[in-house]
Amino acid sequence: MSRFFRGGDDSSTDSSSEEEEVYTSEEEEEKVQAEDESSSEEESDEEESDEESSSDEEEGAKKKGASRFLQSDDESEEEEEEQSDDEATTKVKSAKDKRFDELESTISQIQNGQKINDWSLIANEFDKLNRQVVKLQDGSKAPKSYIKAIADLEDFMNETLAKQKVTPKKMNATNARGLNAVKQRIRKNNKEYQTQIDAYRKDADAFMESDDEVAAPKVVSKVRFEAPVVSAEQQEEDDKGFSTVDSRGKVVQYTPESILKHLRAIIESRGKKNTDRLEQIKVMETLNKVVPITPYQKIRVLQTLISARFDLGAGGAAQMPLDQWKAAERDLASLLEILEKEKDHVVVEGAEEWDDDDKLPTIPEGEKYLKVPGSVVSLIERLDDELTRSLQAIDPHTSEYIDRLTDEGSLYNTIFRGLLYYEHLRKDASLEVPQESLNRIIQRRLDHVYYKPAQVVKILEENAWKQVSAEADSEITSRSQSGDAGKLINILSNYLFENSEGIIRARAMLCQIYFLALHDEYYKSRDLMLTSHLQETIANFDIATQILYNRTLVQVGLCAFRKGLVYDAQNTLQEICGSGRQKELLAQGVMIQRYSQVTPEQERLEKQRQLPFHMHINLELLECVYLTCSMLLEIPLLAQTGSSPDVKKRIISKTYRRMLEYHERQIFTGPPENTRDHVMQASKALAAGEWKKATDFIHSIKIWDLMPNTEGIKTMLAKQIQEEGLRTYLFTYAPFYDTLAIATLSSMFELDSRKVSAVVSKMISHEELAAALDQVTETVIFRKGVELSRLQSLALTLSDKASSLIETNERTLEQKTQGSANAFSRKDNRGGGQRGGGQRGGRGGARTGGNPQRQAGGTQFTGGALGNAVRG
Amino acid sequence: MAEVQKDAPIKSVQVEALVVMKIVKHCSTSFPTVATGSIVGMDNNGAIEVTNSFQFPSVDVSSSDSHSDASSLAAAAPRAKANIVYQNEMIRHLKEVNVDANNVGWYTSATMGNFINMSFIENQYHYQKENEKTVALVHDVSRSSQGALSLRAFKLSPEFMTAYKEAKFTTESLRNSKLTYKDIFVELPVNVHNSHLLTSFLHQIPAPPKSAEIPMPASLDDIRRDPVQIPAHPGFESLDLSIDPFLEKTCDLLLDSIESHYTDLNNHQYYQRQLTREQFKITQWQAKRKAENAARLAAKQSPLPEDEWQRLFKLPQEPSRLEGMLNARQVDQYARQVDAFTANITAKMFAVRGNLLPE
Repeated sequence: MSRFFRGGDDSSTDSSSEEEEVYTSEEEEEKVQAEDESSSEEESDEEESDEESSSDEEEGAKKKGASRFLQSDDESEEEEEEQSDDEATTKVKSAKDKRFDELESTISQIQNGQKINDWSLIANEFDKLNRQVVKLQDGSKAPKSYIKAIADLEDFMNETLAKQKVTPKKMNATNARGLNAVKQRIRKNNKEYQTQIDAYRKDADAFMESDDEVAAPKVVSKVRFEAPVVSAEQQEEDDKGFSTVDSRGKVVQYTPESILKHLRAIIESRGKKNTDRLEQIKVMETLNKVVPITPYQKIRVLQTLISARFDLGAGGAAQMPLDQWKAAERDLASLLEILEKEKDHVVVEGAEEWDDDDKLPTIPEGEKYLKVPGSVVSLIERLDDELTRSLQAIDPHTSEYIDRLTDEGSLYNTIFRGLLYYEHLRKDASLEVPQESLNRIIQRRLDHVYYKPAQVVKILEENAWKQVSAEADSEITSRSQSGDAGKLINILSNYLFENSEGIIRARAMLCQIYFLALHDEYYKSRDLMLTSHLQETIANFDIATQILYNRTLVQVGLCAFRKGLVYDAQNTLQEICGSGRQKELLAQGVMIQRYSQVTPEQERLEKQRQLPFHMHINLELLECVYLTCSMLLEIPLLAQTGSSPDVKKRIISKTYRRMLEYHERQIFTGPPENTRDHVMQASKALAAGEWKKATDFIHSIKIWDLMPNTEGIKTMLAKQIQEEGLRTYLFTYAPFYDTLAIATLSSMFELDSRKVSAVVSKMISHEELAAALDQVTETVIFRKGVELSRLQSLALTLSDKASSLIETNERTLEQKTQGSANAFSRKDNRGGGQRGGGQRGGRGGARTGGNPQRQAGGTQFTGGALGNAVRG
Repeated sequence: MAEVQKDAPIKSVQVEALVVMKIVKHCSTSFPTVATGSIVGMDNNGAIEVTNSFQFPSVDVSSSDSHSDASSLAAAAPRAKANIVYQNEMIRHLKEVNVDANNVGWYTSATMGNFINMSFIENQYHYQKENEKTVALVHDVSRSSQGALSLRAFKLSPEFMTAYKEAKFTTESLRNSKLTYKDIFVELPVNVHNSHLLTSFLHQIPAPPKSAEIPMPASLDDIRRDPVQIPAHPGFESLDLSIDPFLEKTCDLLLDSIESHYTDLNNHQYYQRQLTREQFKITQWQAKRKAENAARLAAKQSPLPEDEWQRLFKLPQEPSRLEGMLNARQVDQYARQVDAFTANITAKMFAVRGNLLPE
């Protein structure tokens, strides 16, 4: 056989293992055939084992010789083209050979398994094989013996499967499981090596032999550091400087050529246990200093370095160390700088990985760019997230927080540069940069500006533009527009709105609304909020977006308050503030859960969601605004409803009512201490008609100082209190007056008489006040006896209750007779009857409504109904 | 004869005027607290003749200042142990003075017909289970004050008695027995009976003369032709409309009833939710057990019992529907009351209009 022949002439090569492999695989093939015939199994088995052992011995001897040989002389073993390679190399050969040995033994184990049809063994060994081969992989080429093994295994498996279909006899369970596992794995695995397998299948011998010549040296070359393009100086530099010692005490030298290899090693060790990340980062920092000559190397080193730095922060709640973040930020900046400079290198997601560590990648024919796999936007996002995390962890009342916050400026610059870069990439359609990346980076930029006042945004923008070169310009947000924060936000969110969908779109919209509301554009923001229809769908979004929605809602409410629109403000804030869980809803603090048990997991998630302090909306101010608005609405309402039973349920703000009740229960009330006390005492004063006292109380609340234009707010509040005081007074004391001069009212509330008559007219027209305005004598004339009698109000309540009972009954009936057509028709009939009744009642009401005396009561329906009854 | 008496169901109640007066007096003095007492008399061929009554001793409520406590105590008086002894003692004494000494029931006071509650049922059941021929007299103080005497007699229907004995008021049993709120009570007609002596006395009450000068009767024939005029029922009370107080009161009571109806409803809904949840759990468990058994069967193991769920899960107890029924009966009572009232009032209104409208 060829074995002897080949064995004879491999004097100088170290490919004994290759040799062996050829032999065994051929042997194996024979075996498969033999097995098919299933006649001479025994014999071949013996033969196999014999050969196995002998070959092992042989190999060991050879190896020894080879390694000795190698150690003594490097040069002579060089078979490759690069004769100039005289560099000192680290010898890892023996380890390598050992791996090959292992591979061999695994393969033979698999063959054994095949023979006795033990699929569970095969499955195990196959896994082992795959693990081993990763270490031995030479670029995209796997060792030939491996290819052979898996190809054969696949064949054998197919055969077994085919056999199984024919024969009724079942395999036992473990075997079947093993077979299935192998089947699945092989399908997946073999795809990767399809070309090689095909080559092998086509002509097994030729494949093995041809590879021998090409691949064998390759295996060798793997352990040697080649320098195809090393210049003399660099070599000198290498010799002089870096004789770093690695953990095992070996001298590790970093040369530009070895960079990629080091990187690979680091990447592979990523995520494994016992990897000293800091050590790796140091290694890479050195690597970075070793002047990576090509931009490709630089890019790769920086990418790996940045992700390694992020890895430090990963896992657990610990945030990234500050210096690492800073370094990462710096590295990212330099990465972007390189990318901006070297226009022919692009970092895109989903690019082909360059597997060959030895050769530097070149720009493929016919293409403009050298694509490097990676994602700049992910790195930027990660950087941003890490900053947020560290801000969450720092106590916001320390100077440390402020120091940390200054980093946001540089982060914003990075984001901005990233955006420019992506815009640049997008220009070339051939790169197929997904829209999504651009959206993500714009979203990040928007996230950093939306909650800031215009001046701050302007400064941020100016800084960002300063650091990029003068000719650079952004397509989406052009330089000329950078001064106007409002415009910037508008452009960014519009861009997102047009080019994205789902959550990002909603977020963009919310950011814009937030910004508008922050800058007192109430009507614009409200209209946007309403047109967005987010209030219907918000429950379907993720929690972060819901939080943003809540924040926006609150901001719109505050904006309405600043505009003096008390009713709108109260309405908008009701949902958030009425719940009593502002902290949670705005993600500004974790509520202490009293009843429900929160798992640590949930708690951790919630902690993660918290906003950093500088983004907070002042909760106390929020409460103050909400309570003040509620007071202005509730006090007149309370006065209006008085003690009548049916209107009692009209409650605008439950929270406020509760507080008021609590306040009223107190026997002694001291001078107000906090915001709530102030508002409550003001409420009391207002209810008693002492509007001046109420104004004083409200004005003495300190937190108004946090509002821009404090004085304006205070005057607005004073005006509101005057008006509401007037209304309350009229509600409370109307029964005791026959007439009331407007002049008296106007002096009492220090409002001009026009305003007073306006308020009174409004109340009359809303039928809140049974009175008429005599314009000649300038008096309000009250009408008597138009209030509901007790019987009338009781009857009203009764009819309400009765109708709700009917509704409940009908619902029950519907439930009980689901789908039964008969029941439905019956129900319809009945419903019709009721409706008819209702209409009759309505008509009756309308008819008697014509009666002027009744109409004045403002409750036409009751008056009418009762009138009907009285007339019989 | 005894057999005949036993078989004949009670058709009517005949109350002596004396008893009426005693009840009215007792009830109105203790108003607004509920007053209760025992009535004695005898059964005469399907008609219960109530000939005397005595009140239960009023419980000393000075220690408990709450008014409702006194009311509830008084309402529970007929079945209180002390009172049973007292009643027997009383009856023994009455026997000694030769008064009818058969207990034929009890009486209670009410306000605007709000007597239908658990306490009433329990009292009547307490009497009726001993003796089929007992009734409950209800004197409505508020309504009587409006002019017409309101005295009604009730007994529990036999169907209700059986249901109550078994204490089964689930939806299922109610559906089977077709027992509705209408079937709780049987109302019996009440006759007020005066003895002949009393009637003749009434006829002889001297009336004030219509005019100062009374022409002396010339002969015996004159007297016969023109008998003494018994004065009509005095006062203008019967013309009093008093729509508002009456309706207000009824409205209030109706609202109370609706409130309690809602409470009942909520209880029941809670039960139903609970039930569906449990049932869902049980079906889940059953499905799981079935799958398990199938697996065990395949593995040739003996199947696990499938009825363990009865032990593992406990279905919630259905709340009694009696409250709801009583409530419905009570509302029905109010509705009838208003109906009767408005019928009366409407007539009066027409009368008023006829007089007031210009010719």
